[in-house]
Amino acid sequence: MHPPLTPRTLLFRTSLAAALLMATMLACALIGPQDVSLKAALSGHPAGGTPSPDYEILVRVRIPRVLLAAMVGAALASAGVIFQALLRNPLADPYILGVSSGAGLGAMLAVIGGLSWTLWGRSPIAVFAFAGALTTVWLVWGIGRITGKYQVTGLLLAGVVVNAFFSAMIMFLVSIAKGQQLYATIFWLMGNMTEEDFFVLWVGGGCILAGIVALFFLGPQLNVISVGYQDARSIGVPVERIELAAFAISAFITAVAVSLSGLIGFVGLIVPHAVRLLFGPDHRQLLPLSALAGAMFLVVADTVARMVVAPAQLPVGVVTAMIGGPFFLFLLIRHSKKVYWPT
Amino acid sequence: MTAAIQVNQVSFGYDPQRPVLNHIDISVRPGAFLAVAGPNGVGKSTLVQIMAGMLRPQSGVVLLEGRDLRTYGVAELARRIAVVRQEFVPAFGFSVFETVLMARTPYYGQWGFEGKEDRDRAAKALELTDTARFASRPLGSLSAGERQRVFIARALAQETPLLLLDEPTSFLDLKHQVAVYDLLKSIGQDTNATIVAVTHDINLASQYCDEALLLYPPRQSGDSPPASPFPPLYRIGPTAEVFAPPEIQRAFDVGVFSGAVGRERFIIPLGAMAKDANLSGRST
Repeated sequence: MHPPLTPRTLLFRTSLAAALLMATMLACALIGPQDVSLKAALSGHPAGGTPSPDYEILVRVRIPRVLLAAMVGAALASAGVIFQALLRNPLADPYILGVSSGAGLGAMLAVIGGLSWTLWGRSPIAVFAFAGALTTVWLVWGIGRITGKYQVTGLLLAGVVVNAFFSAMIMFLVSIAKGQQLYATIFWLMGNMTEEDFFVLWVGGGCILAGIVALFFLGPQLNVISVGYQDARSIGVPVERIELAAFAISAFITAVAVSLSGLIGFVGLIVPHAVRLLFGPDHRQLLPLSALAGAMFLVVADTVARMVVAPAQLPVGVVTAMIGGPFFLFLLIRHSKKVYWPT
Repeated sequence: MTAAIQVNQVSFGYDPQRPVLNHIDISVRPGAFLAVAGPNGVGKSTLVQIMAGMLRPQSGVVLLEGRDLRTYGVAELARRIAVVRQEFVPAFGFSVFETVLMARTPYYGQWGFEGKEDRDRAAKALELTDTARFASRPLGSLSAGERQRVFIARALAQETPLLLLDEPTSFLDLKHQVAVYDLLKSIGQDTNATIVAVTHDINLASQYCDEALLLYPPRQSGDSPPASPFPPLYRIGPTAEVFAPPEIQRAFDVGVFSGAVGRERFIIPLGAMAKDANLSGRST
C-alpha cells in the first residue's frame, strides 16, 4: 500500500511532475507539421527587425495552443477529482452534473442563432457555452438540494436526467442545423483546440490556477467527506460549506475549460483514477498530481491531434478517448488488485 | 451536577404520522457507561444520532454539558462527541492508518498536514483497539469485525469526553467483544469519559455498564388506549433493574431464562422450540 503522505514527498512529487510538464510542453511546442528550430526561434526576433518564421510559428501558434491544452487538461482533471470525492462515486466526472450538456446547448444556440458579436475577444459560442454550463450546474445542484440534503443519489440522478434532456435538445438543434453550422458545432461537441490570443489565455489560466490552488487547501476536508457525509460532520468538518465551495470552484473551472475548448471527454474521468491507482486516494496529493498529469495528457493528446492527419486536424476529444482508454485499462488491470472498491 | 448529556422531552419520527421516539427524557451523568437496548426499529440509532446532533428532534432539546446542542458549531461538537456508526464501507481506498488519522483533521496546520502529536494519537488508538497490525492495509480489505475496531480507533483518536457507539461489537468475535468493553470501561475510568453504547448483547452490557436504557416497542393499534397521553415507552436506571428478566421479556416479547454467577447475572432467550423451553417458565 501507499505509505502515509508527508509534506516532503508531496513537494518532491509535485515538483517532479511540474518539471515533466514543462519538458512535455516544450517538446510538443516544437513538434508539428512545420519543423521549428528552437535556436532559430530564440534568435529570430531582432529589435526592430521582422521576426523569423520560426519565431512566428512558435510564439503565435504553438505556444498558445500548448498552454491552452495544459490549462484545460489541468482544470478537467482537478474537477474530476473533486466531483468523484463529493459524490463519493468513482464513476463521476466533471460533466456528470450537467456542465457538458448545458455548455453544448449554449454553444448550439449561439451557432443556430447565427450570432456574430464578440465579448472580450470571445466568440458567442464560448460565451453561451460558459453561461449554459454554469446555469445548468446551478439548476442540478438546486434539484439535488431539494431531493435530499444528505444523499448524493438525488443529485446524481438529477444530473443524469438533465444531461439526457439537454442532449436531446442538442440533437434536435443539430438535426435542423445547416451544413456549415453543423461542421462548426460537431467539432466543438467533440472537443477541439484552437489557437487563442494571450489575453484569453491569461484570464482563463488565471481563473483555473486560482481555482486549483483554492481546492488544494480543501484537501484534508475532502478526504473526510469522500469517506462519508455523517462521518465528516462528526469528525468536525463543516460539510455543507466545504461541499458548496468545492462544488462551485470545480464547476467554475470546468465551465472555463469547456468554453475554451469544447467538450473534451475522458480526461476528467481517467486521469484522477490513474493517479489514484498509482499514488493513493489522499486528496492533498491526488489533486495537484492529477492537475499536472491532466495537463500533460492533454498537451500530448492535442499534439497527436495536430499531427496524425496533418495538415488537417482531429478533434482532440477523439484522441483523448482513443489513447486514454487503452492506457487506463492497462493501469486498471495492472493495479486493481491493490484497490478495494465497495462491493 | 450538570449532566454530560441530557435529552429533554425529545420526539422524532421520519414519518410525522408514526413517531419513532416519543417524549424521551434521559440524563447521563459525567463518567457514566450507559447501555441502550431494545428491539429492532425502536429508535436506538435514531436516539444516538439525535444525541450526536446529526438529526434534529421535532420537539424537545438535547443539552450537552448543560448547553443546547444546537448552539454548538461543527468543530466545537467534534471536540466533545465522537461517534461510531454502524458498519459501512467507504468509496475510496484509504488505508487503516489514514482513516484513523482523519479524526485529527480539525487540528491540522495551515498547509493541511498533521503534526507529530496527531500521528502519535492515531497510533495509540490503533494500539488500543488491536488494529496496529494492519495499519497500512486498505480499509476495504479488512473483515467487518476488523473494520469495526478501526472505526472505534478513529473515535478514540478524537479524544472526546463523550463517546456514542452504535452497536460497536455487532461483528466482533468473543475475544474482541470483551476487549472492546474492557477498553471502553478503562477509558471511562481513566479519563472520566461518558460512554453511551447501543447493543443487543444484554449480558455483556450487564457486566460492564452502570446504567441502562431499555426502549419498548410501540403499542399495536389493537391495544387498549393508553391511560396518560404519553406513557414512557422506555425505562432508564441501574443496569440490574432495567435489564431484569420481566423487562427484557416485555421489551423483546421473548421467553427468557436468567441466572447468576458470582456478581454477574445473565439472561438466555428461549424460544418455544428450544430443547428445554420450560426453563423460561413461558412454554406453552
